[in-house]
Amino acid sequence: MHRFIKILMALLLLFPVSQVLAAESPQEARHELMEGVRDAAKPVGEMLKGERDFNAAVAMESFQTWAEAAAIFGDLFPEGSETGFDTEARATIWTDREGFNAILLAFGEAVDAAITANPQDLEALKTAAGPVFKTCKECHEGYRVEKDD
Amino acid sequence: MRSVIKKFFSVMLVLVLIFWFASRPQRLAHDDLPTHQPDPANGESLFYAGGCVSCHGEGLGGGLEMESPYGVFRVPNISPDKETGIGNWTALQFVNAMQKGISPDGRHYYPAFPYTSYARMTIEDTIDLKAYMDSLSPVNNRTANHELYFPWNIRRGIGLWKRRYLDPSPILDTGGLDAVIERGRYLAEGPGHCAECHTPRDEFGGLQAARWLAGGANPEGEGTIPNITPHSDGLASWSAKDIAYYLRSGFTPDFDTVGGSMVEVQENTAQLADADLAALAAYLKAIPARPKTTKE
Repeated sequence: MHRFIKILMALLLLFPVSQVLAAESPQEARHELMEGVRDAAKPVGEMLKGERDFNAAVAMESFQTWAEAAAIFGDLFPEGSETGFDTEARATIWTDREGFNAILLAFGEAVDAAITANPQDLEALKTAAGPVFKTCKECHEGYRVEKDD
Repeated sequence: MRSVIKKFFSVMLVLVLIFWFASRPQRLAHDDLPTHQPDPANGESLFYAGGCVSCHGEGLGGGLEMESPYGVFRVPNISPDKETGIGNWTALQFVNAMQKGISPDGRHYYPAFPYTSYARMTIEDTIDLKAYMDSLSPVNNRTANHELYFPWNIRRGIGLWKRRYLDPSPILDTGGLDAVIERGRYLAEGPGHCAECHTPRDEFGGLQAARWLAGGANPEGEGTIPNITPHSDGLASWSAKDIAYYLRSGFTPDFDTVGGSMVEVQENTAQLADADLAALAAYLKAIPARPKTTKE
């Protein structure tokens, strides 16, 4: 029994390490990063929809998540990662890199502006998050293909 | 032998006459129009509910090409240009186009122009819409003709099609109980013409009422059209608030963004009043839930 618990603990300890150690493809890395961005958008959207009370700290946490993503997102689309892993990246990312970079930059700037604005009520949040959401949409329209789940 | 040939031609003549009679264009006359002071502000919200620019282009100058199983439809210029658009049309001509699918020179329009939905609009709203469109800038652009396959290229035949499919009665029976759902029904089944994409069509291109808004294969090519009924294949997990927020912002409850042809539609619905978006959402929650349409 004692030994079993030891093994179990060892496995538990190893699990997150093995995740980090596994060489992750850029396709998977950007997918995960995007999911993080999406998860951060949820509470903000729920506040805007009126389904959740406004909370300045939660909103700021989302902004920070977006800022971290914006800083590294552009590096996750190297040549050779155009296909595979069921990626939803559109070929336009590589054929129109300038346009893609410009919209990424706009995303980062909108997030920075939201952090600086540090919204303290729902109206201010609307003003701050609106431009960020706009860049999400624009980028998805031009640089993503939608795949059925 | 001679009498057989004679008989054959007599029967053919009768058939042609029946076809000609049954397919004749039917339109409203001047006396059918109510006296109405046009309200361009109301027309503007109908303009966004209809998303006219999605097909007719920014500025309404036309030119979009729609691939379909029947051939290529070229969307005409409906800007108020007097030479190449519809700037010379009277209110009656506009109403006949929108609700009867008849051009000013008395020909049938192909139902790629969704008059089967617009027929459910009130004449007053249709006149208001024209008043708003008249206030826009004219675009001088002559558009090319459709290129359709036989037998779809015989326009007169649409007269028969209309007998079967042009029916302005509403689809959802609300029982007259809920004003919000009724407003939503009006917007969705009329000017919004949601069903023109979201409802699968039968072999003659008519909408299948039994599969109302249940989605299906994309007639324009790849992918599928989403089921927007309150079924688990559709929007069951979306609250009415989610639907209204999506139409306003373009974000799904999972915080994915609107995609495909819906992008332009949503950019138009984003301009609607809160009450109208809430009404559309209430309607979509009220229609019967139907499973997704699978490809045969």
